[in-house]
Amino acid sequence: MDFSPLSLARAHFLVSLVFFVLFLAIALALAWVLLFFKVQARRTAGPGWTAAYRLWVRIFALAFVLALASCVPLLFQLGSVWPVLMERVGNVIGPLVGFAVVTVFVLKSCFLGVMLFGQRRVSDLAHTLSVLMVAVGLTLWVFWLAAMVSWTHTPAGAVLLEGRYVVHDWVQAVFNRSLPWLLGWTLLAAALAGAFLMVGVSAWQALQRPLAEGERLAFRVGMVVACVALLLQGATSVGAARLVAAVQPAKAAAAAGYWSSGETAPWVLFGWPDAAAQRNRAQASIGRVPDGWLARDAAGRLQGLDGFSGMLPPVAGVFWSFRIVLLAGVAMALVAGITLAWLGRRRLDPSALPRAWLRVLAGSGWLGGLACVAGWLYMELGRQPYAVHNTVTVTEILGEAPASWLAGSLAAHAALYAVLALGFLRMVFHAARYGVVPVRKAGARP
Amino acid sequence: MIDVLSAAMGLSPDDPSFWMPLLFMGLLFALIVAGTLLDGIDLGVGILLGFAPADARRRLMLMLSPWRDANEFWLLLGAGLFASAFPFAWGAILGKLFVPVAMLMIGVMLRSVSFEFRIRASGRARTAWIGGFWAGSVLTAFAHGVLLGRVATGYQAQAAHVWFDVFVGGCAVAAYLLLGTCWLVMRVDGPLRRLGVACARHAIRWTAAGMVAVSVAFGLANAGIFYKWSSAADLALTLPIWVMMLACFVCMEILLLRLGRPDSKVVAGAPFVLCLVLFLLMLAGLAYSLFPYLILDDMTLWDGAASVSSLRLVLAATVVAVPVMLVFNLLGYRSLFGRDRSDTGVVGPA
Repeated sequence: MDFSPLSLARAHFLVSLVFFVLFLAIALALAWVLLFFKVQARRTAGPGWTAAYRLWVRIFALAFVLALASCVPLLFQLGSVWPVLMERVGNVIGPLVGFAVVTVFVLKSCFLGVMLFGQRRVSDLAHTLSVLMVAVGLTLWVFWLAAMVSWTHTPAGAVLLEGRYVVHDWVQAVFNRSLPWLLGWTLLAAALAGAFLMVGVSAWQALQRPLAEGERLAFRVGMVVACVALLLQGATSVGAARLVAAVQPAKAAAAAGYWSSGETAPWVLFGWPDAAAQRNRAQASIGRVPDGWLARDAAGRLQGLDGFSGMLPPVAGVFWSFRIVLLAGVAMALVAGITLAWLGRRRLDPSALPRAWLRVLAGSGWLGGLACVAGWLYMELGRQPYAVHNTVTVTEILGEAPASWLAGSLAAHAALYAVLALGFLRMVFHAARYGVVPVRKAGARP
Repeated sequence: MIDVLSAAMGLSPDDPSFWMPLLFMGLLFALIVAGTLLDGIDLGVGILLGFAPADARRRLMLMLSPWRDANEFWLLLGAGLFASAFPFAWGAILGKLFVPVAMLMIGVMLRSVSFEFRIRASGRARTAWIGGFWAGSVLTAFAHGVLLGRVATGYQAQAAHVWFDVFVGGCAVAAYLLLGTCWLVMRVDGPLRRLGVACARHAIRWTAAGMVAVSVAFGLANAGIFYKWSSAADLALTLPIWVMMLACFVCMEILLLRLGRPDSKVVAGAPFVLCLVLFLLMLAGLAYSLFPYLILDDMTLWDGAASVSSLRLVLAATVVAVPVMLVFNLLGYRSLFGRDRSDTGVVGPA
């Protein structure tokens, strides 16, 4: 393994990023689901929807706490891990950071408190509206993040003058070419992470005891969201892959594990890309890479990894994160498809499932989160060796922190993330098993 | 003052590239003051958890919860404002503070998650999350001190400076403990007040030592600051600050001594107010020393500021955030003063 300061800094930032993105995705998806629960509870006056809201608002709150806490280190690491990054892109990223912070501040101060602690104090309509505003606020938060990240992939509306980007057109900069794909993919990945969590937890509950009405409803909503999001995500992924081939050909070639340019590219099922040998070890391939997933040079030949003068992303990381996304997607499609075939005529009632399949469902609750994390890793690793595509390299934004500091800090962060994630899981399963006692904050009353 | 500055920068006072950075710096200073004083109370009480008996810990945590949501945000708001208004200083400064920033991040995350998870956890897990809040508070306070030490010595990182940073870090823990206990002494009585007084009387010495050490280091490491604080022309400003800080320490010591006695007639809020004044003076002194630099003698706040077109957007975001902050945060802090009665009756389930 490579323990240079550069790769440690990269790992440091990526670990913080994926932890944040994962819990943000879960919170985002659950916020919209909770809004649906609230609306259904108001419309049908059935106790099931209220019960479902009560359990899942707890899990939402836990995920939101983690997302909010883990966005702070990310912001500081833009300065401490990559000290020259803001020097280059501060004019572009700065205001977007400001918008993101203000969005989450307004959402938390004005609406989240009412949503989590004010159900008894305000009218049901006002409470439902606050849930709506929390969901909108989270989506806006994701929008600013997507704008920031997508700009680094397809920088537009700004020019690099004397080592600093200067914006001349904000609309172009924010609504850059990859924003719709990145935003769409992120929202759908969030939907999948949340939906599979709901399906998994509900199936786990069904293994423990007969399900109550609310738990059946949560399972059903999770299944429907998962199926719809899977279909849409399939289409989005194809579109995003074509865009990547057009604007980041090296990333596309790395994802395909395609070393030498040529006329045809086999679809590599398995293999370990070896950058030193410029080939895949233990390669097993089948068929061909779909047309449009790899860039073509002027002569019409498919561009392999040999065509970029060594400015390559970490090929193995890109190659495998891409495959993990695909595998997780296929696994989710299989699980959802089989469950749908089983339960389609039984109103998606999980009680009709055999215990073995319930175990499969409970075990696949984390597949959506895995796809989300791997997708972000693919996106971020694939942009390397650049921090801003084709202009700013990660080498030039790296600071002077020695490898030992970076390694120590990375280990400490990773250990804390592990503790927090375990705490989250324990509390999720505790709530799923024993139910939820509503909390209130002292002093949060009028 | 404004005219002198703008003339030195070669900009007209009503040029946005002159006044916008200045405005954001003023706002940032306000955020730093609010964060240090208000979240400082939480930090101090968090540190005190380590000395408090187990049955008092729950009550201490409960006392913090009305403004926890507001306190959680000072750091994020300050960092967001700094990174967006002064992006060119963000990396230049934080790149030199890698280790203390890493400590700060671990501490801050542990604190905020522990607090929120605790109210939703049950049984033994709840005790563990209180421990997490304590550890996070100590680490955060220590990291604040190390940051200050680094800034004071001009970002030096040789072995001798590391020991100085560790010393200032320890003193910062004591300083926050002093702030938190002075606040607590105002809010409660009985054994908890006696504990607060005892801790405060230990903490006050280390706080004084830390403040003197930082001042001396600032003066010795940076000739410009030494001149600012010692030139005859500015003595009218700097001398009262020194005298007031000294007076604060002495009065607090005396008041705390008296408050520790069972039948004291001292107003319980007096040490807290003095402590606030002390912190304010210290922050004002820091700002006076550094201004108008973000990195001393190297980068002014105008050098660090983003382009005017970016600053306009930041200003728009600020216009949204400030009213929300004023309304909701002030609401949160309305129970900051006044006697806490939660030990006499049944309190919420939390």
